[in-house]
Amino acid sequence: MEDPQANGDHNHNHIPKKLKLSSPSSFISDSEIRQEFAHHQLGIARINNGSFGSCPASIIAAQKRWQLRFLQQPDDFFFNHLQNGILRSRTLITSLINADHVDEVSIVDNATTAAAIVLQHVGWAFAEGRFQKGDAVVMLHCAFQAVKKSIEAYVTRAGGSVIVVQLPFPIHSDQEIIAEFRKGLAMGKAHGRKVRLAIIDHITSMPCVVIPVRELVQICREEGVEQVFVDAAHAIGSVHVDVKEIGADFYVSNLHKWFFCPPSVAFLYCRKSPIALDLHHPVVSHEYGNGLAIESAWIGTRDYSSQLVVPDVLDFVNRFEGGIAGIRKRNHDAVVRMGELLARAWGTHLGSPPEMCPSMAMVGLPSSLRISSDDDALKLRTHLRDHFEVEVPIYYQALKDGEIGGDNWDGRVAGYARISHQVYNTVDDYLKLRDAINQLVKDGVTCSDLP
Amino acid sequence: MEDPQANGDHNHNHIPKKLKLSSPSSFISDSEIRQEFAHHQLGIARINNGSFGSCPASIIAAQKQWQLRFLQQPDDFFFNHLQNGILRSRTLITSLINADHVDEVSIVDNATTAAAIVLQHVGWAFAEGRFQKGDAVVMLHCAFQAVKKSIEAYVTRAGGSVIVVQLPFPVHSDQEIIAEFRKGLAMGKAHGRKVRLAIIDHITSMPCVVIPVRELVQICREEGVEQVFVDAAHAIGSVHVDVKEIGADFYVSNLHKWFFCPPSVAFLYCRKSPIALDLHHPVVSHEYGNGLAIESAWIGTRDYSSQLVVPDVLDFVNRFEGGIAGIRKRNHDAVVRMGELLARAWGTHLGSPPEMCPSMAMVGLPSSLRISSDDDALKLRTHLRDHFEVEVPIYYQALKDGEIGGDNWDGRVAGYARISHQVYNTVDDYLKLRDAINQLVKDGVTCNNLP
Repeated sequence: MEDPQANGDHNHNHIPKKLKLSSPSSFISDSEIRQEFAHHQLGIARINNGSFGSCPASIIAAQKRWQLRFLQQPDDFFFNHLQNGILRSRTLITSLINADHVDEVSIVDNATTAAAIVLQHVGWAFAEGRFQKGDAVVMLHCAFQAVKKSIEAYVTRAGGSVIVVQLPFPIHSDQEIIAEFRKGLAMGKAHGRKVRLAIIDHITSMPCVVIPVRELVQICREEGVEQVFVDAAHAIGSVHVDVKEIGADFYVSNLHKWFFCPPSVAFLYCRKSPIALDLHHPVVSHEYGNGLAIESAWIGTRDYSSQLVVPDVLDFVNRFEGGIAGIRKRNHDAVVRMGELLARAWGTHLGSPPEMCPSMAMVGLPSSLRISSDDDALKLRTHLRDHFEVEVPIYYQALKDGEIGGDNWDGRVAGYARISHQVYNTVDDYLKLRDAINQLVKDGVTCSDLP
Repeated sequence: MEDPQANGDHNHNHIPKKLKLSSPSSFISDSEIRQEFAHHQLGIARINNGSFGSCPASIIAAQKQWQLRFLQQPDDFFFNHLQNGILRSRTLITSLINADHVDEVSIVDNATTAAAIVLQHVGWAFAEGRFQKGDAVVMLHCAFQAVKKSIEAYVTRAGGSVIVVQLPFPVHSDQEIIAEFRKGLAMGKAHGRKVRLAIIDHITSMPCVVIPVRELVQICREEGVEQVFVDAAHAIGSVHVDVKEIGADFYVSNLHKWFFCPPSVAFLYCRKSPIALDLHHPVVSHEYGNGLAIESAWIGTRDYSSQLVVPDVLDFVNRFEGGIAGIRKRNHDAVVRMGELLARAWGTHLGSPPEMCPSMAMVGLPSSLRISSDDDALKLRTHLRDHFEVEVPIYYQALKDGEIGGDNWDGRVAGYARISHQVYNTVDDYLKLRDAINQLVKDGVTCNNLP
């Protein structure tokens, strides 16, 4: 399974060739890309990179080398190699995201874990009297479900209140989001509530939109929000990430979604502050009290190999023209192009303008499908998988206040497909989706008809 | 890397042949065992199965099949296969440990995670006023360091107090342990403190001793301890485990130490009770509130493959005469035999009688090595690894009260080697250790001399 072009033997002096620009003749070719993703199931139009990410064969091979090293001699691995490997990954990430110092960067399993870390800290603040009952945490109405549950588990349970800010969708501009956020935040603070933390997505999951997060962080500061946590699960590898420019206190992104790492690995950036010193990994082990980054690097015996391949991933992305920036741009351009192709084919529209799409786009689905609920959306997704070999998540757009519902389905776009584009996708993937939906429309299928 | 004898294609109707007794001619042979562990680094006397465990090649292959399935089509894996796979593992474990119901069995990463789950629950009880400041948690003085830190993070921080019970070592009988525990617990309760939770090891880590845990749980009940959590990280696969007979409220054991699973996977048994309903995984995700077992089966995108190979492990152990019980007995007998061989060679003794050794034994080291601290123990361990290709953890035994220390080293055994025996070990491994220590003694090496 070893890719001969992969990073040879894994030596400790490995320095990723971050600054080396590949000459045109040595950029990765289309057939090499196909080889790298040859393990993807044949015949499936896999247009959902956003949910679970993807990992090229050369990175899987690099990961296996690390796994083997542990199995060969685990004590030696633990005492002599693991910590250096994690530090190397953290150092590369620090540079990638423009953080000031590697101490600010911890590696954790995923954004879900990062949310637990930040929110458990909030829970302690309530329990220890630093926050008072009723102090608030702000979240977007479309926050990821796991984050909502974490807020319930650590904030609501501890006596905090939650301000939910509604964001519009479909959306037409950054200004709409900024205006709605400012309004929602002001309303939430109306009763003189102290706002301790705001959780803002950099890229919302469902529906998927790039949020003007720098402006929203600024508004938070203006409105006296004490801390801002940016849930940027999708960001690294799909949009430009500069944590200093964004200015949040905490920022998490998954490296296994758009940055080619194996499941699972994420970084949690915590801007240097007294509060950052009091964050802890909830799985407490020997390193408790030595700082979040060190705590997170040992949470008991487990497989840390996915955290150790960041150097190999940088080598991988630098085989593409323009490196990760080039990949981002081409993914974005392609997904917009494909989104517009589908919208034209179905007579619908995109849910946001191109500049607010990352490497994903929300494409309106024909109203005749009569998507009326989250259940309908899931049924449609399952049907597309089982009967058309298309993998794409479907979003149900509930009616806005004042919209007349009932049986008036004419032209009403109540559902969107969230299409992704990653380096392994081809036009055929989207044509397959186009034809599947057209077939369902032609056959007069509605979600009620689906099992 | 696929082992032709491994569990063929991974079909969903796989039923482990738990009850099928292999006929003598079809028991695994010595050369097959060597093949299964051929990935262990050649030339190393690997006598530390206790720290990080071990995993046979056929299980690694089974794990890879699961990993590949996720990489091939992650959505299908998530929606259609993951939950069934985890439930299958939980069901087999339920039967293995004699729990009443699969609802009582959750799968988590490791004992460290299980400790965080139980202790976070204690932390909430203090924060929410169910426990009062000063209410106590009991632990053994030799509790695993990660557990001690977890107690600090969740109990001490929340206002709880900690009763530390000293256990003797070297130890000569269960009765010594029982007497010391009863005494220590009574002393700790002396000021009328309410004891909310006792954390007792089934097999202590350092020094390693099998604790008469059923009797200690009984004493806890008699003394009014509300809840008992047994940290049995080493137990499954090295001693008989019957959770009903032991009678604790919570019981955790790692499957990757002595039960041939890949890193990492553990089960946390929670006896049915109202309190069990209020345990939560600290990494909160979509399933929050649906019970610990369901919560633990989805804590965000990550590699769950190690949790899915339990059926394959049962097939593996049933290739051995007597299955896991036969493996336990032979490991125990061998480690005692090897321990006695080493003690005779070095003129020392075992730290506990054979019946209190699991698949590990504490063997006294010659006093001339002058092991004077934990640092010395680590230096000696490193020296054995780097210069003699022997991997074995070293334990420093601090002086008991009243013992005269200083320069009187005659015959004082201040250090012990914790030797392990797993199916891949051979006599040569222990002879290598014997000769290494004899060489150090002959050369007049003391821990001071070591780097």
